Amino acid sequence: MSLAKWTVGLMAGMSMLAFAAQANAGEVRVTVAEYSAKTGPYFEEVKKEFEAKNPGITIKFEVVPWDVLLQKLTTDITAGTNADLSIIGTRWLIDFVQQGVAEPLDSYITPDFKGRFIDTFLSPSIMDGKTYGLPIAASARAMYYNKELFEKAGIAKPPATWTELQDDARKIKALGSGAFGFGLQGKEIETDVYYYYAMWSQGSEILNKDGTSGLGTPGALEAAKLYKSMIDEGLTEPGVTSNNREDVQNLFKQGKVGMMITAPFLSNQIKDEAPKLKYGVAAIPAGPTGARGTYGVTDSMIMFKNSKNKDEAWKLMDFLFTTEQRAKFTQGEGFLPVNKEEAKMDYYVNNADLAAFTALLPDARFAPVIPGWEEVAQITSDAMQKIYLGGDPEAGLKDAAAKANAVLKK
Amino acid sequence: MQNRFLPYLLTLPSLFLAAVVIFWPVWDLIQISTHDVNRFGQLREFSGLANFASLAADPDFVAALWRTGVWTVLVVGGALLLSVPVAMILNTDFYGRGLARVIIMLPWAVSLTMTAVVWRWALSGESGMLNSALLGLGLIDHNIQWLASAETAFPMQVLIGILVTVPFTTTIFLGGLSSIPDDLYEAAALEGATPLQQFREITFPLLKPFINIAIVLNTIYVFNSFPIIWVMTQGGPANSTDILVTHLYKLAFRIGKLGEASAVSLVMFAILLVFTMIYVRLAMREQRA
Repeated sequence: MSLAKWTVGLMAGMSMLAFAAQANAGEVRVTVAEYSAKTGPYFEEVKKEFEAKNPGITIKFEVVPWDVLLQKLTTDITAGTNADLSIIGTRWLIDFVQQGVAEPLDSYITPDFKGRFIDTFLSPSIMDGKTYGLPIAASARAMYYNKELFEKAGIAKPPATWTELQDDARKIKALGSGAFGFGLQGKEIETDVYYYYAMWSQGSEILNKDGTSGLGTPGALEAAKLYKSMIDEGLTEPGVTSNNREDVQNLFKQGKVGMMITAPFLSNQIKDEAPKLKYGVAAIPAGPTGARGTYGVTDSMIMFKNSKNKDEAWKLMDFLFTTEQRAKFTQGEGFLPVNKEEAKMDYYVNNADLAAFTALLPDARFAPVIPGWEEVAQITSDAMQKIYLGGDPEAGLKDAAAKANAVLKK
Repeated sequence: MQNRFLPYLLTLPSLFLAAVVIFWPVWDLIQISTHDVNRFGQLREFSGLANFASLAADPDFVAALWRTGVWTVLVVGGALLLSVPVAMILNTDFYGRGLARVIIMLPWAVSLTMTAVVWRWALSGESGMLNSALLGLGLIDHNIQWLASAETAFPMQVLIGILVTVPFTTTIFLGGLSSIPDDLYEAAALEGATPLQQFREITFPLLKPFINIAIVLNTIYVFNSFPIIWVMTQGGPANSTDILVTHLYKLAFRIGKLGEASAVSLVMFAILLVFTMIYVRLAMREQRA
């Protein structure tokens, strides 16, 4: 018995040794997020091409699902076994910078290299004048609408304001075909963001100018009341709090939802899974004063401070951010171009869907760069779920604003 | 003299392994939970019991604590109640028993996460199998949004918890039943005992040690069970189906409060330790008496 255990212990020890030996010179380990089924194969290609051009450097990609990426990075960093490079949500970057985990890239970046990027997407990765990450993926949100349902309901064009959106949703409901007017997301990642679309159009921001939470503002209350009234009136899909983004997207693909707000990658999914669906992409509706906002997101590739192969790692970064590689990745995943040369390619210029997204970029808000942002987002999502389930918007938002302010004060 | 130390010497290797895999992580958790700690687990200054205090002041934690109790009692209790008759039926000799045993054991062979994923689809409001089945049978006239609120989501999670706990429990009971000699039943039958009397006077008392084991092991598993609730609702909506493990996961890996998460972990460890000690004590005293 104990002999067997010793053998196990010995083997565990040996495998640890083997593991330590793996981190040898010339090897670059990269943690990448799995955005879709195309992510893994893309990075396999990169590995082949890069290693052929750079003998002596081996690349190891670790493809991790989005949901567990932050958990993996946290445990890896705690244990000191993190890779050399990693994709992270840019909204996490401040924690990485403050804790001294991320390496500034300025010594590697030439003005020519910097010139490759569209400024809007590079700027979220710059902190205190230093560039800590490069935008590997960029996305924004716009409104998808089902042209067939619109036609049947006699709606000529996509709604420009939330009032029009409510009217259109009523008309779609009145068709009696079982289709729902507006797809409202009420579960999991970006539940808070779905609420911000309405909030921004009421002139409120996530953070007030004095740094306190915007959830206590009159605009935030108007937005919550708007969504709640739509739920009560049956203008959304039933059971809002059981539908995450993918669930609502699936309803849209099945033609069961008239309108929904989501990212450009839905176009790719529709092309693959529901090619017959007639849909259009339009701006997110505006509020009474004409204010509107979309959510801009970038993910960044960062280099870890404790990396032992920084020069090799930079070579790989340089390769990943060439126009050719960027175009392959962005088009496969359905993101927006972050590279100026890339944005001029026919693929983007002649794409009506993507044009709707890029047109919204001047109104894009990125997640605020503050420590504790994830907690504020969680508080907001929880508050929204309570309201969607029938809670009082005023009390719910007041409570959430107090909680968020407590986090923000720290 | 040497003989007195021999038992200790013999348990030393396992004690050493236990120290490595149990005491060391617990020590680590104590360290993290009593310090101010950043989101990557690097310790800063000592903060005493501040992390535990902020837990006690957090209504979500208190609610999750109670819900964990309810969850554990319902799932373990339900699985026990269901497993005793199932094991008794499977213990009798009938045509196709092998197949029946395989079917009962199957949920055990499928990963818990996969089971939860499948149920999440089945319980989907608009395209779920359960709703289409119920509509088809005419039992409901509109779709039920199972996972939209805790009132329907949590009972479903408990039912699924019971379903996946039954195979293991049944296995324990089958082992117990096969250890009861048949002549006891034959003798009882000769004396004119009804099947109910046979169950109350023979089966149940002799099965008791196995029931005790099932209670202790299942409580530990179910108390710590993460996939069912996480996959189906992530403890939501608005934390209304959170149990301690899912609460802990959110604290640690969503919000980055590793100190408080470690404190939750220690609280869970303490609860299970105390439960197991008290229960084993009680069960053993009963057996000796």
